[in-house]
Amino acid sequence: MQLRPIAALGALILAAGLAAPSGPAAAAGDTIVFGSPVSLTGSLTKEGHLTQEGYELWKNYVNAHGGIKVGGKTYNVDIKYYDDESKNDTSAQLAERLIDQDHVNFLLGPYGSGTSFTVAQIAERKKIPMVEGNGAAEKIFNQGFKYTFGVLSPARRYLEGILQMTKAQKPPAQTVGITAASDAFSQEVAQGAAAWANANGMKVVYNNKYPDTATDVSSIISALKATNPDVILNAGHLQDALLVQKGLKEQNVMAKAYGYSVGPDTPDFASSLGKDANDVFGGAQWSDAVKYKGAPGFYQTAQEYAKAIDAAYHHRADYHNAESTAACLAFQYAIQKAGSLDTEKVRDALAKLDVTTFYGIIKFDSRGINLYKPMVVNQIQNGRLTTVWPALTADGKPKYPAPPWGQR
Amino acid sequence: MHLFAQDLVNGILAGGILAVVALGFSLVWGIMNIINLAHGAFLMLGAYLTYQLFASFHVDPFLSLPISFVVLFALGYLIQTYLINWVARAPILTIFLLTFGLSLLMVNIALIVWTGDQRGVTTAYSGANFTIADVTVPWTKLFTLLAALAITGIMQLWLTRSKTGRAIRATSMDIGAAQLSGVRVAHIYAIVYGLGAGLAGVAGTLISLSYAVNPGMGDPFLIKAFVVCVLGGLGSVEGALIGGLVYGIVEAFATQLDFTIGTQHISGSGLQDAIALVVLLIVLIVRPTGIMGKATA
Repeated sequence: MQLRPIAALGALILAAGLAAPSGPAAAAGDTIVFGSPVSLTGSLTKEGHLTQEGYELWKNYVNAHGGIKVGGKTYNVDIKYYDDESKNDTSAQLAERLIDQDHVNFLLGPYGSGTSFTVAQIAERKKIPMVEGNGAAEKIFNQGFKYTFGVLSPARRYLEGILQMTKAQKPPAQTVGITAASDAFSQEVAQGAAAWANANGMKVVYNNKYPDTATDVSSIISALKATNPDVILNAGHLQDALLVQKGLKEQNVMAKAYGYSVGPDTPDFASSLGKDANDVFGGAQWSDAVKYKGAPGFYQTAQEYAKAIDAAYHHRADYHNAESTAACLAFQYAIQKAGSLDTEKVRDALAKLDVTTFYGIIKFDSRGINLYKPMVVNQIQNGRLTTVWPALTADGKPKYPAPPWGQR
Repeated sequence: MHLFAQDLVNGILAGGILAVVALGFSLVWGIMNIINLAHGAFLMLGAYLTYQLFASFHVDPFLSLPISFVVLFALGYLIQTYLINWVARAPILTIFLLTFGLSLLMVNIALIVWTGDQRGVTTAYSGANFTIADVTVPWTKLFTLLAALAITGIMQLWLTRSKTGRAIRATSMDIGAAQLSGVRVAHIYAIVYGLGAGLAGVAGTLISLSYAVNPGMGDPFLIKAFVVCVLGGLGSVEGALIGGLVYGIVEAFATQLDFTIGTQHISGSGLQDAIALVVLLIVLIVRPTGIMGKATA
């Protein structure tokens, strides 16, 4: 009696196994299949969803405009996702599954440097090209990997723009205090900011880290406050940016400028904090104010792209959207150039890619990272994200110094 | 000296919240011998409930404390009665997996209902603070601590004075004897699990004032609840309070620690978790039952 349900279950599993598609599903029915393990749950859920939106927008555009031409034949595109729960190991396992079981042609990156790093190792081992738009730690690109390409400016440059901007003010900012999460990306961001400050005559008066799982950062903020810096920078992600910004107000920490690597650019920052989000700076890979004229084959300007994101997802385009779409575009142009879906040929085409898009230049150095596109600085002014640096792309002037808490 | 005092205050304020987080977890573990992996998810639901009441109806987070408690208590009571009781006699791993599954279910439902966006409960008085002798104290965190102390006090009184409270303690001491004395164990278990969930909900409400609300927010707190529980001693109200405060203070001071091993400069602030765990290890060596724990028969 006891055995019957188990046997039935066994039969069911067997049947499911037999019914599952076997052999290469890739490019079946003239479709190019991309795979991406992405943070749909876990601590990076929000960023993961923005990544997915960026991918989906591209997919829908391409499929609606006749697909991608590869050597005289047109292909539609499809993207297969798995939820990596924002965990590095899970992301790698899922990448392996995408390659071995789902037989995807190419990989699009997960969200975050930690996951991108573990997935890059799988891409390398399986010799499947991956373009990622959300892992900016240079650690990923210093391993000699041949199959991983990143469309973003590296982590160390995230907060440079904010420092340049504060140094250009009158009187210029002189001291900097940095708090950073302990993950690889945030650490590189903090090191980059400190190095830039030291090389450019600014003094780093505080530079310390907290665990990336921290639920309370008040003691770090107390120590930071004691050093009284002109510029307060945080290298981290959205969740800790919110925690830090609330903590700074709770302890009444006054600085001339507050800057974050990730946070202000995502609408949640302003919606969660209300007026307390005002006058904060964020380093960004892209903003809808940038003025590039892209190659044909996709939306050619940042403004057209922003309109499309708004129509599809009813929110303002965020740089996570843009950099994710840019990763797809790198594949689109490289595949067209290669005229083939052969992984080696596409890899070589990616390595030689040099194209301007709505997002900026996509071109990789010998390590596979994009050193050719500058970062921008945004500031939340009266609840609205305004691009304030570099002056050439700016659609507003930086508000500096920040008024005291309670007057924002 | 000023930083020392500030850190002490920071630690106590953070520890008060951890005490409430750990309290419900500790009761369920100590009395029912269930390591409730859904505790973090209950906390998350409490936080979302607070957020939703605040965003839609402008209900002050402190006023939504009883609402979180009642709603989560009811949810916990139902889960225990209709799910966990079914597997009460199954091996411990089954219950472990069940609570884990429930946690995944709740997190994913939250993801569908509220999406992955980070939400915040930012009140008009959020961030308001006062300063005594160079030490800054944020009002919200002070009230949070007071609420935590009040909740702990009420729980302690209720467990020792009320009839149900005594039945709960009797059940935890000896199920057989309790049953013989007329205690309905299934009902008591449902109440305890409900209490655990309700207290998690209350903790979620308090946390929503300083921490971003998102579907995965319960995870780091679940881990801390585990440590605080073992540190303070299982199943005791005072244990959760003392454990929470010790953990909070240790973390606060760990942040300021700087030391050099050989040529390697090490900053304590990235190692808060590790340092807190070392303290746990030391406590377990010196007092294996936790700071306030009693040896069991």
